[in-house]
Amino acid sequence: MDFPDFTQLMVDLEKQELEAPNGGASPQVYEQLLAIYLYNHDLCNAKYLWKRTPAQIKSSNPELSHIWTIGQFMWKKDYPAIYRSLNSVTWSDTVADIMLKVQESVQNRAVELISQAYSSIRLETVCAMTGLSAETCSKACLEKQWQIEADTQIVHPIRSNAESAGQTNSEDQLYKLTDFVSFLEN
Amino acid sequence: MASPLEHFVNTVRTQTINGTFRELVEYLSKTNEILQKNSQHLDNVLETLDFQQHSLGVLYLLCAKFNYINPTAQDNRFTQAQGFIQDCNGEQIRLAPDVFAELCHLITKYLTEIKQPMKGIDLMRKAIAKLRLFDAQLTSIHADLCQLCLLAKCFKPALEILNIDITGICQETSSSSNNSQFDAKYFLLYFYYGGMIYLALKNLDRALYFFEVAITIPAHAVSHVMLEAYKKYVIVSLLLHGKEQPIPKYASHVVNRFIKPLSQPYGALAAAFELNNNLELNNVINKHTEVFARDHNLGLVKQVSSVLYKKNIQRLTKTFLTLSLSDVASRVGLQSPSDAERYILYMIEEKQIYATINQKDGMVIFLDEPDKHSGSEVLKELETELSLCMELDKQILAMDCDIQVNPQFVRKATGGQDDEQPNKSTYAM
Amino acid sequence: MPLLIHNTMSQNAVEPMQVDAPPEDNDNNEDEIYVVENPSLDLEVYANSYTGLAKLYRLSFIIDHCPSLRLEALKMAISYVMVTYNVNLYQLLHQKLSELTGPMCVPDVAISTTSQDIPVIDNMWMETRSKKAALKLEKLDNDLKNYKANSIKESIRRGHDDLGDHYLDCGDLSNALKCYSRARDYCTSGKHVVNMCLNVIKVSVYLQNWSHVLSYVSKAESTPDFNENQAQTKDLYQITMTKLKCAAGLAELATGKYKSAAKHFLHANLDHCDFPELLSPNNVAMYGGLCALATFDRHELQKNVIFSSSFKLFLELEPQLRDIIFKFYESKYASCLKSLDEIKDNLLLDLYIAPHINTLYTQIRNRALIQYFSPYLSADMHKMAVAFNRSVSALEDELMQLILDGQIQARIDSHNKILFAKDVDQRSTTFEKSLAMGKKYQRRTRMLILRASVLRNKIHVKSPQRETTGQSGETTVAPGTSSVMLARN
Repeated sequence: MDFPDFTQLMVDLEKQELEAPNGGASPQVYEQLLAIYLYNHDLCNAKYLWKRTPAQIKSSNPELSHIWTIGQFMWKKDYPAIYRSLNSVTWSDTVADIMLKVQESVQNRAVELISQAYSSIRLETVCAMTGLSAETCSKACLEKQWQIEADTQIVHPIRSNAESAGQTNSEDQLYKLTDFVSFLEN
Repeated sequence: MASPLEHFVNTVRTQTINGTFRELVEYLSKTNEILQKNSQHLDNVLETLDFQQHSLGVLYLLCAKFNYINPTAQDNRFTQAQGFIQDCNGEQIRLAPDVFAELCHLITKYLTEIKQPMKGIDLMRKAIAKLRLFDAQLTSIHADLCQLCLLAKCFKPALEILNIDITGICQETSSSSNNSQFDAKYFLLYFYYGGMIYLALKNLDRALYFFEVAITIPAHAVSHVMLEAYKKYVIVSLLLHGKEQPIPKYASHVVNRFIKPLSQPYGALAAAFELNNNLELNNVINKHTEVFARDHNLGLVKQVSSVLYKKNIQRLTKTFLTLSLSDVASRVGLQSPSDAERYILYMIEEKQIYATINQKDGMVIFLDEPDKHSGSEVLKELETELSLCMELDKQILAMDCDIQVNPQFVRKATGGQDDEQPNKSTYAM
Repeated sequence: MPLLIHNTMSQNAVEPMQVDAPPEDNDNNEDEIYVVENPSLDLEVYANSYTGLAKLYRLSFIIDHCPSLRLEALKMAISYVMVTYNVNLYQLLHQKLSELTGPMCVPDVAISTTSQDIPVIDNMWMETRSKKAALKLEKLDNDLKNYKANSIKESIRRGHDDLGDHYLDCGDLSNALKCYSRARDYCTSGKHVVNMCLNVIKVSVYLQNWSHVLSYVSKAESTPDFNENQAQTKDLYQITMTKLKCAAGLAELATGKYKSAAKHFLHANLDHCDFPELLSPNNVAMYGGLCALATFDRHELQKNVIFSSSFKLFLELEPQLRDIIFKFYESKYASCLKSLDEIKDNLLLDLYIAPHINTLYTQIRNRALIQYFSPYLSADMHKMAVAFNRSVSALEDELMQLILDGQIQARIDSHNKILFAKDVDQRSTTFEKSLAMGKKYQRRTRMLILRASVLRNKIHVKSPQRETTGQSGETTVAPGTSSVMLARN
């Protein structure tokens, strides 16, 4: 899974919305922006975007409200419902790419959360949180080297440790340290 | 064209050519009456002047237009204002900052009335950029921007401005006007609206900071904005810190004397919250529902109620190593173990607690923060924090320097006990 | 005879409780209402340790809180009140008596026998007593006027004191206080000042004006002559000192400052403890002992209580308490707490300590829990529960509170019911603290810089004329608020 950076697109869209004459940008702008907010898990901004979208755009573009439905389920952390509504609609070209990535990002967050929060978890819960079938799910678990107890269907996730961000070079660090010391001494 | 207006145009032109802008401001500030009387010709006059070259003249004309002519259906005032703010000459308008700010307030009012706040957001950002001398300077237009953002429910543009910590305040006074100070109203509104924007985006820390600024402004009377800010201050401090933060000592006495008693239900809310008892809290909420609803704080108050569950779970993490989910539910007052699981899961995700759930036995294991303070990120964090502190320290030193060389301060320090003492109060703070 | 009395008493004891409850409510609504069922108090001995109003107040307290001793206490109080001029109290006591006996005794077969024993309200006595009191008052008043006319300081002082004594005898506390205080201007020696202080202290205790008590104690202690003359009148000095310490201890106890109360009581001296208008030596032992137990650490307890030669004598008076303290010190918590529960009923009948019993007991328990766990790295909660006479889950709750208060550094493994001492990672707490401090510094400094410019620009909310702009401000606020809040709900 790769995670594209939609930042530039987001900035552009936000600008378009702000500069739109008479406060009404094109429906595509709203759709894409909303999808990107969901992808970034920025639910606050997604919510307010939905709220400020002009009513006639909402009514003439049912897809927009489909996107927002997902946002609402994300807000409630209702994983099964998120996947259900993600897959119940064929997304138009405007947002199809992004929506696909939304699904991946939700799944990824769920997996990350499971590994952080559970020392043992029922397989069905894992399925529900990732939106996968029991079969694919157990395969994926084994791939991650999570053990599954065959009789009880309990999964034992392994805590993943986020690796630390890149090293800083030592000369730079020394320079900063000198700075600090001279600051503290004075 | 009527003759007084001809005179107006001529004066603007000649003074601009001569570069005697101060005299021009002097003259313009007395033209109010003429412009009001001849308001029907304003558009004609506007056409004869250039936005950039004759910024001052246009500024007064536009102000008059917004003030004296009622908007019609086919109204070009916004487009005109937009063009003006886009093109105007910053140096000129900074000679009449009060009028420029006034124009922005009028635009904001107009957009609010026609319910198109979205249109003004970008414009106000530009206006702020024109008026302020440096990024960290506060203008009264800041409040307009925040108001429009709130009304449009579009917060990101405001954040760019809000995230800059204010270190200076624009002297919105032109040589001729009599109100010589930055109006406390706009100061309060900026910090109140700003706090609400941060609140909406769930940046509680900043929100609390903004409300705190609003309630600690020097005051001789109760302002409604302060009162509302205080109510939100109480709620946010509960949401963020789990208890009512004390009011800073330097806050005006009106806060304790009048504002606190006026916000009695909020005091009761905080008191109930601090008992850590959901039943008690809900009693208080039910008792004062009307007040909270009237203050438009009911949504926040409901958040307070849900945060109490989280706070209680957090308390459990401090006392227990392991606990069954059903025990968590009963101790915290939640309906069922699965409710408890949901809360815990959410809190793990938000990094509010460190725990692992064992679904097999229905237990939770509470952990200490996993070796958080090792590795290079910590060093990096320390570095950034330290440099921030150093930056601030430098600012303080610079301010100290300013005061040291301030003639008034020197005179005072060397023994003369003279008239005013603004420096002393600044210093003693 | 005694059997019969007992009979009526127990009959009366069971039912009037409900009947009496409402009027009791009105009598002392500031105290919580509770009923003590089974005190092991010997009322006679108890009452004999006190004189004056102390005796009456203590008996009244028992009357209000202990149905089984109510009748006996009433009789004692009534017979005692008849040697004073306190007609009001006499009336009040009879009123209580009639509430107790009146409705219940009518159908009672034993009515004739009991009524012999139960005092009947004597209106004649009341009338003559009031008259006598008035006569005495008039006489004392005249005396005082004469003294004043002759301006003999010493006589005036005595005149005030006598008048105060008389008011006290009548139960008129506020006038008594006035008279005693007036004597102050006529004191000619340190002894007199101390005497005046003691009088004021006494009345202030009756009035439960504790801050007054404390200020007069310190006034007496700082009287110069009082300290100098001690050589000749050592005994008197000791007696006065003990009185002052007891009064101070009582005041601290009543205001919930248990530790300083304990310290004051520990300074009392048994051989010179003669203060029946306030306290008995038993009281000193009990108050001091319990307060010390609740607030002293192990070392203080050993040094100041167990090895204190003077307080040891007090403890001999209350062997039960002595055992409790020793058991506590020997870490035999189960039996210590059990004995504490045994004496609880009697303590609940004590006017001054009753309101604090629950707090003191919890503090003692907590102290025991903390001390129990202090040497361990981990402790089995089942064993701990046995040692403290508690169920495991109740213990868990108690421990939780202590951990939250920071009194025990530990965490509970609820799964295995084990209490683990918490090992604190110094390194990461230091990191955490310094980062938090840095954040705080930044926040404060930002606020400071901002505030500096606010002040420099003289921004402030002005009075009335600004108020109107504030209001128009609010109208601008409102749409913003509503929009956000709507968004939120």
